[in-house]
Amino acid sequence: MEADDGENSRKVVALIEKAVDSTRPEVDPRVLKSIKYIVRNSDSELRIATRTLLSLMKRDHSQVRFLSMLIIDELFMRSKLFRTLIVENLDQLLSFSVGFKRNLPLPAPTAVASVLRSKAIEFLEKWNASFGIHYRKLRLGYEYLKNTLHYQFPNLRENAARAQQERRERELKTKEILMKKFENLTENINAIKEEIQSAVDEIAECLDIIRNKDDSMPIAPIDDEDFEEFRNSELREIRLDSLKEGERVQENSDNEIIFDALRELYKVLVTKHLAAVQEYLSVLTRVEVVNTRSRDSMLRQFIDIKNNIQSVKKRCEESGCSLRRTTSPEEDVIWEEGDLESFKKASDSKSGQDEVHASASNAHESRNEAPESSGQTSKENDKRYQADISSESDPLRNKLLAEAPLMNWGSFLDSWGSSQDILANQRGFDLDNHWGRVDLDAVIPAERIAELNVQATFYSEEPGEVQPCRAPLRNGQLCQRKDLRVCPFHGHIMPRDDDGNPIKQSSSDEELNLSVGGDLAEQLATQAVKNVRERDEKDAKQREIDRRAMKRAKLAKVREHNETVLKDAALASTSRSLYVGEETEASTQTKLSTRNKKESLATMLKRKETAKDRLSRKLLNARQRMQV
Amino acid sequence: MWKEISERECGKIRNSLFTHRIKTTRISSLNISNHKDIISPHRGSINSLQVDLTEGRYLLSGASDASVAVYDVQRATDHEGGGVIEKHRSILVIDKQHEHGHKYAISSAIWYPVDTGLFITGSYDHYINVWDANTSQVVVNFKMPGKVYRTAMSSLATSHMLIAAGTEDVQVRLCDISSGAFAHTLSGHRDGVMSLEWSSSNEWVLFTGGCDGAIRFWDIRRAGCFKVLNQSHTQFGRRPQLVHSNTEKASTSKSSTAGQSSSGKGRIAQRKNVNGNSIKPSTTGKTSSQTKGSKQRLHPGMLSVQDRATAHYGIVTGLKATEDGMYLLSAGSDSRLRLWDVESGCNTLVNFEATRLQTTKPLQLAVSQDSDLVFVPCMSSLKAFDLWSGKSLFDFRAHYENVNCCWYNAQDQELYTGANDRQILVWSPPKYTSNEVDEMRKEQASGCDQDNWSD
Repeated sequence: MEADDGENSRKVVALIEKAVDSTRPEVDPRVLKSIKYIVRNSDSELRIATRTLLSLMKRDHSQVRFLSMLIIDELFMRSKLFRTLIVENLDQLLSFSVGFKRNLPLPAPTAVASVLRSKAIEFLEKWNASFGIHYRKLRLGYEYLKNTLHYQFPNLRENAARAQQERRERELKTKEILMKKFENLTENINAIKEEIQSAVDEIAECLDIIRNKDDSMPIAPIDDEDFEEFRNSELREIRLDSLKEGERVQENSDNEIIFDALRELYKVLVTKHLAAVQEYLSVLTRVEVVNTRSRDSMLRQFIDIKNNIQSVKKRCEESGCSLRRTTSPEEDVIWEEGDLESFKKASDSKSGQDEVHASASNAHESRNEAPESSGQTSKENDKRYQADISSESDPLRNKLLAEAPLMNWGSFLDSWGSSQDILANQRGFDLDNHWGRVDLDAVIPAERIAELNVQATFYSEEPGEVQPCRAPLRNGQLCQRKDLRVCPFHGHIMPRDDDGNPIKQSSSDEELNLSVGGDLAEQLATQAVKNVRERDEKDAKQREIDRRAMKRAKLAKVREHNETVLKDAALASTSRSLYVGEETEASTQTKLSTRNKKESLATMLKRKETAKDRLSRKLLNARQRMQV
Repeated sequence: MWKEISERECGKIRNSLFTHRIKTTRISSLNISNHKDIISPHRGSINSLQVDLTEGRYLLSGASDASVAVYDVQRATDHEGGGVIEKHRSILVIDKQHEHGHKYAISSAIWYPVDTGLFITGSYDHYINVWDANTSQVVVNFKMPGKVYRTAMSSLATSHMLIAAGTEDVQVRLCDISSGAFAHTLSGHRDGVMSLEWSSSNEWVLFTGGCDGAIRFWDIRRAGCFKVLNQSHTQFGRRPQLVHSNTEKASTSKSSTAGQSSSGKGRIAQRKNVNGNSIKPSTTGKTSSQTKGSKQRLHPGMLSVQDRATAHYGIVTGLKATEDGMYLLSAGSDSRLRLWDVESGCNTLVNFEATRLQTTKPLQLAVSQDSDLVFVPCMSSLKAFDLWSGKSLFDFRAHYENVNCCWYNAQDQELYTGANDRQILVWSPPKYTSNEVDEMRKEQASGCDQDNWSD
């Protein structure tokens, strides 16, 4: 038993040391799991683990401290005994992880040290929030760092609580509003119902009347044909179209009033009542009330109403009082005037109205119809139309637009593209404020005008993005200096990858530069051939490499699968076997990677030579030379 | 504990022994209290702590942001965490904003020993203020010649109301509250005085420790000091307690009577003898009357060799007399603790385990009941030493910066510590839950503090 204990404790120590011996920013989850597994079984192991972790926290390497801190956090959130042990030594732990004592700053890799500090502060806050009430020392440590040393805590919990609170308030408010609406509704439901019912009834009556009249007036189209004779061909076409379309109910001077009323009612029904009913429905479905029965009955009523309205709406649409008809009488009136100018204006304004009237359902329809119906299409209308559709169609236009230069607005645009001569001295107004001779024939030729209107264009520099230097810095970040060519710290600016390593550009342009002296064309040709060959070769090589890599990946996958299966089997059996599995894995892994791992931990400590160092050394050398 | 109670019931053990045992077990289980928080309103280091001597209920704290506060340590002002944590907020705060408040750091704040109606603060702004605790107004103030390091009042005194003040100045001044004037200046130290302690057995005797490393004993009725402690003047171990307490009793009775008037024949004879000696002006309390003639001839104050004796290499930062008044414990900037036999003035050579003490500030030491343990602020922790063996028994660590002062509340067996990190911490024996409701509540509250292994 004793020996077993000793063995276990050794295992704990070994496992923890293994977990800590890594350059990665997290602990290997498998190792962590086995640590937890062993430590969980007995208190003595937990004590040993605590001691080991605390001694590791004293290591002169921030990475080691960071990883031990992660393990400590894992255990702290789980074990009560561990908590009591850690809290006993909390001041030590904090000084080693936060480094608040001036004589004990955090050790070497500064990037890791800063991560360690922020993580430790975060952990402390978390611990204090969950267990602070049971451990005075935890509270003390937290208060000391917060109030005396003024460390910035992430304040996660409080922020979350605040967000929660805000959300709750918002919900409460919406609930209140809903409730109020619901109450209003329960009070006014009868009035609403009556109103809607009356509107529906009226529409139904109107429809009935129209239907009746419709039956009695089959001669309406003949009348129209009589008129057609003194109208132009285009109008006739449209009229025919509309006749073809609208074989349902024809509108004329007799039933015009009824149609108007119907349209009015329809509009009211759709825009007001239907929308209102939909809103009521949403209110009813969202509101939470004690008495669900009344709500359900109301819901049912409103659904019925809605269905009713929709059926009425459908009937209206079938009967032909859809919105495009609203414009037809006005159109007629304008056509009879026959004046081109006024027609243009009127149709302009009309089409504007058109759009205002258009409800969402048939806006598209009306838009498409507008240019068609307004016969001799005015220029503006046409333009607008084109502008409307140009975005989706007309690739040629798009291409031209892309090519076209941008001009500033000016008076010269008045005569843009015109090839007319311009009268020169029409009014006899001469120079020097004297009335002079009037020469009615004097003209300025168009070419001359064009010449005069030539616009000076100024070159304006495009505000280009200056690329940052992106050379790797000591703290693991990339240099953010923006220089055009040369960074004073890192030399020539070159494209770099995400780690800051320069991407080697093909040296072809250099070669080109070198060989400029020779026969350029020949050189270029040979170069091109060479390039093509090179590319082919490279492709082939790449393919080969890919194939190999794929094969290797497949093999690795198979191996991994085998390993996991074996390991799971081991896990399933006993803790001892688990450990054994870990150990063998550990040993093989360490055998494979001890060298580079050890090196990497050590190399983390080693200071990288920065550009600054290089510069200073160079300066020093120069100075020495000067002195010599 | 139950065994002891039954024994006590049977009369097997004496009453005092029983209480002593219980108190000892409680003291030995002192730990940081999770259920009692004192919320310090101070924004500077806590320099002084004292619980009043009459009720043992009101804690007075003085801090270096020139503020002084009073807390009720028995009744909490509010609770937190479902009643698990009792918070004791200050019931009285006086800071710089007060019209008569101190300007600079308060170095010492003490209660008037007779009741809780007055307290006294000494500050680095050279003033000693006497405050009315009820109206929080200054009753009397004294202007001192330099920074005030310590003030002390005798807890035994019945015939005087003197505040002894140790300052930057070489002279120790005695301020009389009743008259509002200086009653005495005691000169002898060659540097400022950092620590003061009235004898706990004689109302006239004052011990002072200076920055010159000397500890001087004064009888305030006489001019000059009557003893300078010498660290090389040693005696091996303490004398047997029985003999000791007898002589002590005799001496106190004698000295008190001697103070008032002459008494027994032997005493007169001795006195004559002393007068005839003429080196020493008169008897000075018990010590001289008890010691032999050879000792008296070596009486300091006249002899420069004795007068230059030192108790510590460096500043004497703290003094504490034991409860029975027979021993004096001193702390110095040489990081040493020394226990002195008051009667003989000898270093008892108790070897306190090596520690490191603050050197620049006066320290406030505390002694447990029956003088078994002494609590000493050692940098950022508080250590408890066995007074007789010098062994370090407990180490109380929770402060993040240097601890300046501590106070042992004998009534509740609680310990209070104040430090540079502005916290006042309570150290108490574990709370015994007396009834089931309490237990239930605690169970509930601590429900989440359990093992929580997810895998």
